[in-house]
Amino acid sequence: MRQLLIADFVLKDSWVEKIQIREKTGLLIHPGMRNKIIYFLLLIFYTYPAQNVFSQNISGDTEYSYIKDKIVIASEPDYPPYCIVDDNGNADGFSVDLFKAAADAVGMEVDIKTGIWSTIRQDLAEGKVDALPLVGRTPEREELFDFTLPYISLHGAIFVRDGTRDINSLEDLKNKEILVMEGDNAEEFVRRNNISGKIFTTNTFKEAFHKLANGEHDAVIMQRVTGINLLDEMGLRSIEALNLQLPEFRQDFCFAVKKGDYILLNRLNEGLSIVIADGTYEEIRLKWFGPGVKEELTFRDILLIVVYIFVPMFVLMSVFWIIFLRRQVRSQTRVLNNEITERKEREAELRKLKEELEDQVADRTAELQEKVRKLDKSQKDLLNLVEDLNTLTAELKKERRKLELSNKELEAFSYSVSHDLRAPLRAINGFASFLSEDYSDKIDEEGKRYINTIRQNTAKMDQLISDMLNLSRITRAMINPGLVDMSEVAWSIYHEIASEEEKKVFNITIDKMRPAECDLSLIKQVWQNLIDNALKYSSKSEEKRILIGSESDTQEIVYYIKDSGAGFNEKYKDKLFGVFQRLHTENEFQGTGVGLAIVQRIVHRHGGKVWAESKINEGATFYFSLPRINPDLGKNKESLADIKSEDNDLHQ
Amino acid sequence: MENLSEVEILIIEDNQNDAEMALRALKQNKVTNKVLVVNDGEHALDYIFAKGKFAGRAKNALPKIILLDLKLPRIDGLQVLREIKNNPATKVIPVIMLTSSKEEKDIIQSYKLGVNSYIIKPVDFDKFVNAIRDLGMYWLLLNQHP
Repeated sequence: MRQLLIADFVLKDSWVEKIQIREKTGLLIHPGMRNKIIYFLLLIFYTYPAQNVFSQNISGDTEYSYIKDKIVIASEPDYPPYCIVDDNGNADGFSVDLFKAAADAVGMEVDIKTGIWSTIRQDLAEGKVDALPLVGRTPEREELFDFTLPYISLHGAIFVRDGTRDINSLEDLKNKEILVMEGDNAEEFVRRNNISGKIFTTNTFKEAFHKLANGEHDAVIMQRVTGINLLDEMGLRSIEALNLQLPEFRQDFCFAVKKGDYILLNRLNEGLSIVIADGTYEEIRLKWFGPGVKEELTFRDILLIVVYIFVPMFVLMSVFWIIFLRRQVRSQTRVLNNEITERKEREAELRKLKEELEDQVADRTAELQEKVRKLDKSQKDLLNLVEDLNTLTAELKKERRKLELSNKELEAFSYSVSHDLRAPLRAINGFASFLSEDYSDKIDEEGKRYINTIRQNTAKMDQLISDMLNLSRITRAMINPGLVDMSEVAWSIYHEIASEEEKKVFNITIDKMRPAECDLSLIKQVWQNLIDNALKYSSKSEEKRILIGSESDTQEIVYYIKDSGAGFNEKYKDKLFGVFQRLHTENEFQGTGVGLAIVQRIVHRHGGKVWAESKINEGATFYFSLPRINPDLGKNKESLADIKSEDNDLHQ
Repeated sequence: MENLSEVEILIIEDNQNDAEMALRALKQNKVTNKVLVVNDGEHALDYIFAKGKFAGRAKNALPKIILLDLKLPRIDGLQVLREIKNNPATKVIPVIMLTSSKEEKDIIQSYKLGVNSYIIKPVDFDKFVNAIRDLGMYWLLLNQHP
């Protein structure tokens, strides 16, 4: 045992060395895998009798020379992917390749024949061939063959037609018709374990599948990988492998040699070990299973991933996406609905506004049209008015021209009167005076009275002419308005014209009167004439009383002078203010009948009125009114200014 | 005509009655100065400027006072006044205007032309005498301003 252990170490060391060499040459072997192989090999050495090992190690050198360098093996045609034939009829497959590699590793050439399993098995048993590349190690076969270390373990499977439901366990197979290939380890398995009472055999696996696919029998039992490969190769989709474990049908596959051919067995073991260790095994495995299996797995994985992960995920995402989209759609719809509502509201509002506006425009247009119509009418009226005014103005101008003309004529007349009428009067008066002076001694008293009468009448005539000229002047005179203290004016006039005697006998009262806006010199003439009249017509009355005062309202001021004199008959009052009109004889009261005419003219020119109340012998009251604001007076201001400037020149 | 150079008062008056009354009034006022009466403006100017029928008189002998009626035939009183007052030699002669009315127009115009005073010829002769009296003694007092 101690030696064995040492040898093991030596062997181990040599393996390590070899492995290291391989590593150096660039073939990569994973360290874990390397250890596994080492232990696996050690296990194999333990399982074999020590003497065999020793004898080989000790005496092997000599016996090797007897070992044939060329051996013959036989392979099956349809045990894919382990043993098949290629398109040229040459044997091929994983096991064939592995065998060739192992043989090559120990310097052997291999000649390969092909034949169905039962034949080639017989050939090996009879020594017609040296070895078989793929033999499942079973107790029955160990009687006939010696096996190398197993290079692959395969599991059996139950193949049934699609839709088969009544096979769920090995027990279910009891009454089923089972197809197996004759001599296959599956046949050995079903018979050994007494799986079914109805076992049918075929010469090839394909034949079994064909029969099953055609509805014959119930199941095919064979190696899982081989079966799947075959079905794929045959294109049969209607047959599937059950996912049912067959613990008793686990097969270790090995190379097999004729019973007792230890030399070949050992060499094959050595070769197998070498190809396993140096990676050739892996290369061959990958050649036959790698891409295919890997592809199948990848395809499955993809399928599974697709089915179990991506599809649900897709569905889930779709659901979420749909929910998200629906929410989006809902919120968008809500927003849109709001917008639509708002827009509708706005549209309605706009429409309402538009309608209101249209109404307003219509109203305004109507109003405007009405206004335009009225304006047109007014314009026409205005034009007519302007036309009338123009006509009137023209007429007025004409009238005014006439008036100016007559004024000039009047002026010329006045001038003529004052010069030409006075000259004879002067002569009459003068020469009458000469007569009385120069011939006083020749003229008696009566003659002198006549001469005096002549002279008085000339004086009277002179007075008439003066009054008339005065009246004419007043008519044409410019008004120079100003605020006049009427009480003061009345007092001054009274003191001026009343004689001392009159002042003694008359009881005169002049109230504080409202001032008037008027021409001072003209208004003086008014007061002069009125006060003069009051004195004159009171002269014969016993009661000599004069009251002067004023009353006013918002429009005008009324001035009055009340006397207690002779008075007059009111039925003649229309004649009071006429020129040269007199209600009393010259004998009663002297006068020319011009004074009140002058009063009336002046008052009228100030925009006022004159009137009188009286009863005979009960006195008279004369009234004249003046407007509080006298707009007519302003008109003459400019012309008055002209007169004023002339006055200034005069004074210079 | 030989004593034309001694004329001290020149009366220009077309109305013979007025002229006579004026002379009588002067006389009654003891005005003994030599008086010449001419009947129109033309003669008046001829005399004053020694031309026409008065061409022979001594030019430098000018009347001391001129009484001028306003209303004259042909050349009226205002024109005569203008010529007297426009001439440097004659403008110093006092001119008293005689007028029959208080027509402001005439008076204003007369003053513009440089008249020295005026008398309104009254109808009552006694008043005229008084006016002349006032003038002869102290003629400026008779100035009747408008």
